[in-house]
Amino acid sequence: MHEMALALEIGGICERELAHAPESRLTGLGVQVGAFSGVEVDTLRFCLEVVLKERHGDVAIEIEREPGVAACLSCEVQFEVRAAPFECPDCGSVARGVTGGQSLQVSYLEVE
Amino acid sequence: MTAERVEVKQKVLSANDRLAAEIRADLTSRGVLCLNLISSPGSGKTTLLEKTIDELKSKLRLAVVAGDVQTRNDAERLERHGVPVEAIETGGGCHLNAEQVSKSLSGLGLSELDLLFVENVGNLVCPSSFDLGESMKVVLMSVTEGEDKPLKYPAAFRRAGALVLTKIDLIPHLQFSAERAVENARSINPELEVFATSSFTGEGLAEWLDWLLEAAERKRSG
Repeated sequence: MHEMALALEIGGICERELAHAPESRLTGLGVQVGAFSGVEVDTLRFCLEVVLKERHGDVAIEIEREPGVAACLSCEVQFEVRAAPFECPDCGSVARGVTGGQSLQVSYLEVE
Repeated sequence: MTAERVEVKQKVLSANDRLAAEIRADLTSRGVLCLNLISSPGSGKTTLLEKTIDELKSKLRLAVVAGDVQTRNDAERLERHGVPVEAIETGGGCHLNAEQVSKSLSGLGLSELDLLFVENVGNLVCPSSFDLGESMKVVLMSVTEGEDKPLKYPAAFRRAGALVLTKIDLIPHLQFSAERAVENARSINPELEVFATSSFTGEGLAEWLDWLLEAAERKRSG
């Protein structure tokens, strides 16, 4: 539901980066979205297309998904997880917490 | 002209996070405990706050920032309990952000406060992504919502420091196991503090209030 707010933030980051090179045109955008970032990827892509269209036209949007990783509460093993609850594959204990998959960042811009 | 790739590696919410860090530093320097209340609509955030204010306003200096999509209804309800309240109408926005909170804090005398509640927009998804500069997120869950709420909406439970189970007076009328709900929540976040409460009968409120008093005292003494 908040993907439009995020797309507007990403649009702002693009504008600030492009301000260094006003002659450049944005042709591509890479965004990294963690499995636990709370973002619906298809909705974000749609919102980004809407936000970027007016000023930049068609921009190739690449969304890279970062897998979810949790750490075991008992044995400290790190393991990839998809949906809660997170149980350690080695000892069956619950996870102490999520150690990967929370990122939400602009990775790169492509300009020409 | 050939395309050139520019590495950016910038967090999407970095502007929000920066502002939230400023809010946190400001509140911490003044010894103000700030709790960001997150839950689905109708889980009882405002009612819990009404009870909490009535019990604590003689012991702590309280204020509330109340967010809603539309209306000032919650803010008006809370104002009647005699504490400063700032309303944020998001006008469609599904969460509060640090900028909205920062603006509303300028209307409150922060140096005169011990405990500040931010009542987020009723929504268990989006608010958990936005740091508001709070000391801790507190997630509320009413017993009518089902035991598996923490599994369906894990982010809110993962990022919270405490869970308040509300409306427990209704449990006799429901097929709801508080034990299983807490077990589910702790499978997401093993360190979650848990309070089982009824704002209607008052059951369980004493533990919640004691915890608030202790947390506010710890914050004040740095």
